[in-house]
Amino acid sequence: MTTIYEGMYLLDNEAVRQDWNAAKSIITSTLEKHGATVHTARRWDERRLAYPIKKRNRATFLLSYYEIPGENIPAMRREFELNDTVLRSLEMAVDAIPETETELAAAEQSADFSVPTPPDDDAIDEVEVIDDGDDMDDEDGPRRPRTRRVSRTEDDTKAADEKKPADETKAAEATDETASGDGTDDSKKEGATAPVED
Amino acid sequence: MAIKGKLGRRGNTRNRRTCDEQPLDYKDVETLEKHLTAYGQIQGRRRTGYVAKCQRDLKLAIKRARHLGLMPFVG
Repeated sequence: MTTIYEGMYLLDNEAVRQDWNAAKSIITSTLEKHGATVHTARRWDERRLAYPIKKRNRATFLLSYYEIPGENIPAMRREFELNDTVLRSLEMAVDAIPETETELAAAEQSADFSVPTPPDDDAIDEVEVIDDGDDMDDEDGPRRPRTRRVSRTEDDTKAADEKKPADETKAAEATDETASGDGTDDSKKEGATAPVED
Repeated sequence: MAIKGKLGRRGNTRNRRTCDEQPLDYKDVETLEKHLTAYGQIQGRRRTGYVAKCQRDLKLAIKRARHLGLMPFVG
């Protein structure tokens, strides 16, 4: 039984710089080799990685949709892992191919399309939104000032102050009782052991 | 009075949001990043406000994005 799968593959930018179609054919040929029917395969994006993968800081992402028998997937994954051009891969089953995907894949195959050359491995993406640390001019509006909600009334505070000394005296009494209680326990123990010794 | 006030504030009804209108996708990194802490941890349901199913979808999407290097594991 064949299922529709979505596959995302990270390609080494060195291979993409040399020839995009050759790099793309590594993926498609491997898929077809394992009995897959490739519906779409297109360049999704080129971006900086959150952490280095195989000593690469940037990579080109290739998104593809294909049908493949489930039993062929482990061998296919193994082949992608062994390929040095493919930095990482992700396959997941999907219900259907998105509607926009076929249009985007067709646009890539047109004659006008040209893959932009990937930047250097150390290049940093430009940050679009610059946080100036000032919340007052943000679109969300000014932040709500921090306030502590106080539910106590004056009567409550007075009652709490009155209770405090009473609690302290109770605590002192409790400590005295425990101290005297220990002494009585010892005497009881002595009394209990005396008949046994006789 | 204080206990009553606390219960009234928390209550049993919390506004939960779902991901039916906009399904969570591992490619939508901007949306997923909103549900991370400053240290890169996935926020809990109390913070995200998602229903249980959407919280599981969020977890899966973030882990897929991490696997592909789109999002960091830490920080």
